[in-house]
Amino acid sequence: MGGKVTCTLGEVKNRADLVIYWGGNPAECHPRHFTKYALMPKGKFVPNGRKDRTMILVDIRETPSAKAADIFLQIKPTKDFEMITVLRAIIKEQPVDPAIVAEIGLSLEQLRDLADRMKKAKFGVMFFGMGLSMTRGKHMNSAALLTLAAELNAFTKFVAMPMRGHGNVTGGDVIMRWMTGYPFGVNLARGYPRFNPGEFSTIDMLIRGDCDAALILGADPGATMPQPAIDHLARVPTITLDPKVTHTSRISRVHITTAVTGISAPGTAYRMDEIPLPLRPALKSPYPTDEEVLRRIRQKIACKPLQLPPTVPMMTDAE
Amino acid sequence: MRGNSILRIVGGRVYDPANGVDGVVRDLCICDGKIVADVEAGRTIDATGMVVFPGGVDVHTHVAGAALNFARAMIPEDHRRNLAFVRDRIRHGGIGGSTPTTYITGYLYAGQGYTTVNEAAVPILTARHTHEELRDTPIIDKSTCVLMANNEIVLDLLEAGEYERAKEVVGWSIWAAKAYGVKAVNPGGVTAWKWGKDVKGFREPVPGYSKVTPADIVSSLAKIVDELRLPHAVHLHCNNLGAPGNVATTLETMKALEGSRAHLAHLQYHAYGGDDWTNFRSESVRIAEEFNRNPNLTTDAGAVLFGNTVTITADGPWQHLLHKLTGRKWGNIDVENETGCGVVPYVYKEKNLVNAVQWAVGLELLLLIDDPWRIYLTTDHPNGAAFWRYPEIIRLLMDLDFRREQIRKLAPAALNRIFLPELNRCYTLYEIAIITSAGPARALGLANKGNLGVGADADVAVFNNDKDAAKMFSYPRYVIKGGEIVIEEGEIRNTVEGKGLLVRPHYDPSVEDFIRPLFEKHYTMSFDNYPVELERVEHAEVRPCN
Ligand SMILES: [Zn+2]
Repeated sequence: MGGKVTCTLGEVKNRADLVIYWGGNPAECHPRHFTKYALMPKGKFVPNGRKDRTMILVDIRETPSAKAADIFLQIKPTKDFEMITVLRAIIKEQPVDPAIVAEIGLSLEQLRDLADRMKKAKFGVMFFGMGLSMTRGKHMNSAALLTLAAELNAFTKFVAMPMRGHGNVTGGDVIMRWMTGYPFGVNLARGYPRFNPGEFSTIDMLIRGDCDAALILGADPGATMPQPAIDHLARVPTITLDPKVTHTSRISRVHITTAVTGISAPGTAYRMDEIPLPLRPALKSPYPTDEEVLRRIRQKIACKPLQLPPTVPMMTDAE
Repeated sequence: MRGNSILRIVGGRVYDPANGVDGVVRDLCICDGKIVADVEAGRTIDATGMVVFPGGVDVHTHVAGAALNFARAMIPEDHRRNLAFVRDRIRHGGIGGSTPTTYITGYLYAGQGYTTVNEAAVPILTARHTHEELRDTPIIDKSTCVLMANNEIVLDLLEAGEYERAKEVVGWSIWAAKAYGVKAVNPGGVTAWKWGKDVKGFREPVPGYSKVTPADIVSSLAKIVDELRLPHAVHLHCNNLGAPGNVATTLETMKALEGSRAHLAHLQYHAYGGDDWTNFRSESVRIAEEFNRNPNLTTDAGAVLFGNTVTITADGPWQHLLHKLTGRKWGNIDVENETGCGVVPYVYKEKNLVNAVQWAVGLELLLLIDDPWRIYLTTDHPNGAAFWRYPEIIRLLMDLDFRREQIRKLAPAALNRIFLPELNRCYTLYEIAIITSAGPARALGLANKGNLGVGADADVAVFNNDKDAAKMFSYPRYVIKGGEIVIEEGEIRNTVEGKGLLVRPHYDPSVEDFIRPLFEKHYTMSFDNYPVELERVEHAEVRPCN
C-alpha cells in the first residue's frame, strides 16, 4: 500500500472546504499560500472563499499560522507518526490504544472530531511542511500521511501535497526524473543512473568525502549544510555559479557570476505542484546565464578523453 | 545534420503498403532526408535478403509529461529490475523499463525501427512540461494530443448549448498547447472524479451538470475536430475503461460517433462482457463486428502482455478502482479545471483469469477486425506493456504455432471466456507494415510518414528476414531517420533530433476575450503564461488543416 494522491493548487482554490496544514508555518514561510491558493480565494465550488473553508493547523508549537486557523492542534514533538496512525485506525473504525493517544498530546475527542471532519469534507487537502518531513521518522512520516490521504478517498475526495522550499527545487526534481528516472540522490559515476538516498545524497557524499570536486548551482550549501559537509567542499575544488557572492563562494576555488534567472535569464520554473511557469527576462545582464556557462564547461569536457572503459556495453543491469 | 546524406539501399524486399508495394525487391534512394527516384553518388547499403519497411509510427503512447514523470518517481523498483543504458560519446545514460527516461525512449523506439510517435495525453496547463521532455527525446518525430473531454470551460459551454463557442475554445486550446490533435479521456468521468465520483450512464448527465452527458461530449468533440479540419480524428478513450460489461458503453459510443471520424484508443480495454470480475469475459466478436460496419472509425489494439508494468491514465476514477482491487500503491494528480491522472503499478499474470482475458482480447481484435488499415499495433504504453515489447505481439500475430503454445499456458478456466483459440488468421509482413506504420500514419494524417514513395520522409527500417518475428523486429539491421543512418548493426550510430509536429487550426482570436476572465477566476497562474510559445517546441513543424 501507499502512494501519493495530490492535485494542482487550482483544485484546492476551487474545491477545498477542509484545509489542513501539518508541520508547517505558511504564514511566515509561504505567505502567498493562504491568499492565492488555499484559504482566502473565492473558488468555483467555494464561492464565499474563507467562509466556505475550515482550516486546521497541526504543529508542535503555536506559530503565527495558528492565528489563521479555525482549529489549532498542538501535538508533542516527534509524535506525528503516532497521530497519523491513530487517525487511520479511527477512520477505519478500529480500536485505538489510549496510551498512544496520551503520548500524542491530544484527547481522543479531538482526534475523533478531526477524523470526522476529514470524512465529511467534500474536498480535503493536507499540506505538509518540513516539520513533518524533516523530523525524526522523515520519509516514514510523509509516507504515512500520503497513505492517510489515499485511504480517505474511500469516503470522500482527499489529497496531500508537500510544501516545498524556495527557488526552483521542484524543477530540479522534475528534470532529474525525466533524465535519470529518479528525483535526487542519483550517482552517475558508472555511466548510468543509480539511486540510493542516504548513500548518494549530497550531504552524505560530502561527509564521507566521496567526491573530489563539486559544482554548486542555485544553492548555498555553505550556509545550510552540516559543518563536516562544508569542510569537504572547502577541501576539494568547488565551483560555484551564482548571481551573488554566497557563503559557498567564499570556500570555492572558482566563483562564476551569472545572470539572475527570471530577471535577466529565461527558462522554466516548476511550482510546488509541478506546474511549469515560463520565466521571461525583463532586463539584460552583463553576465552569462547558468545554462551558457554549463554549456561551455560541457564543451570543454567533451574534448577530453571519455572517463569510461573504451568498450562499454550499451546496456547493463540497472541494479 | 539533416539533409546531407545520400543513400541507396539495394536488393531489399520492400514492403510499402501506402503505395501497394508488397514484398518487391527494389532499390530505395534517399537524398536530403526524402525518398527520391534515383541518386548518383553516396553510400550504398546492401540489403539483399533483408526486409525494408517504412519507419514505425506509434499512434498512441505515453512517453513524456507530468503524468509519466510522476510515475517515474513512484517506481524505483521497476527501474532497478530493468536495463540501464550506459553513456558514451554520442549516447546519454539512462533507464529503460516501463517508463524509460527521455533519451532512452528515443533510443528504444528507434532501436526497433520506429521513427514517429504520438504522445496521447497532454493537459494544456502542463503542455510546456511535455514539450520540454520531448525536446530531450531524440531521433523520433513527436505529435501530441491535448485533453479536452473534461475541460470545464468546454463542458460549461456544452451545458449551455454554446457549441460554436466551444469549437473556438478547442481551436484556441490546441494552439495554446502546441498540440497536433484532441484527446478525450472518459468524457465527463474525470470531472466527476474531482468529487470522487464517476459518470454513471453514457446518456445520463455528468455529475455536477444538469444536461450535458458523456454522449454529448463525445459527439460534440468529434464534430468539432472534423469542422476544425484537424488531420487526426478525435482520439477517444471511451467511458468505463477496464470494467466488466463495458461492451455496452463502447457500442453506444460507436453509435454516437456516426457521421464523424473518430479514433478509438486501446480498444482492448473496452471490449469486455460479464457483470463483475467473476464472470468477466471477452466481447471482442461483438465489438469487431460493429467496428467493421463503421468505416468512419479507426482504433488501436491496446494489447496486453504478461509481466510487470505501470498503468498511467488520465482516467482517475478507474485508477482508484484498480488500486482498490490490487492493493498496489496509487498515485493521483487532479489538474485544475482540465483533467486528472492516476498511476498504479501492475502485473499481468497468465494464471489470473481477468488478465488472461485481457491478453486474448487484444490479439482477438487485431485478428477479427478485417481491415488492417483501421487497427494499429499499440499496448497503450506503458499500460498494457512497454512499447519495446511490440515485437512479441508481432510474433503472436504471425506465428500460429507460437500463439497456440502461449494459449496453452493460460488457466484452463480462461479458455471458455475467450475466442482466441478458434482464430487461425496469421498476419503477413505486408499487414504488419500496415498496422505498425502505413495505417497509423494515415490515421494521423501524416502523408509523408509510413510511406516509401518518392517525396516521403526518408524514415526507413531494414530487418533481417528471420523466422522468429520477435527477434526480427527487435533488432533492425539499419534504421534511417530523415535520411540519416541512426542504427547500424544494432548499434546507435547517430542521435539526430526529431521534429515536433503540431497544427494551428482556424479559430476566431477574439475567443481569448472570453477565455481570459474565466481563466483568471478559476486558475492560479497568469493567463499570459498559459499558452506554450512556438519556440518551446523543438524543430516545430506546423502541419496543415485541410
Ligand atoms: Zn493511453
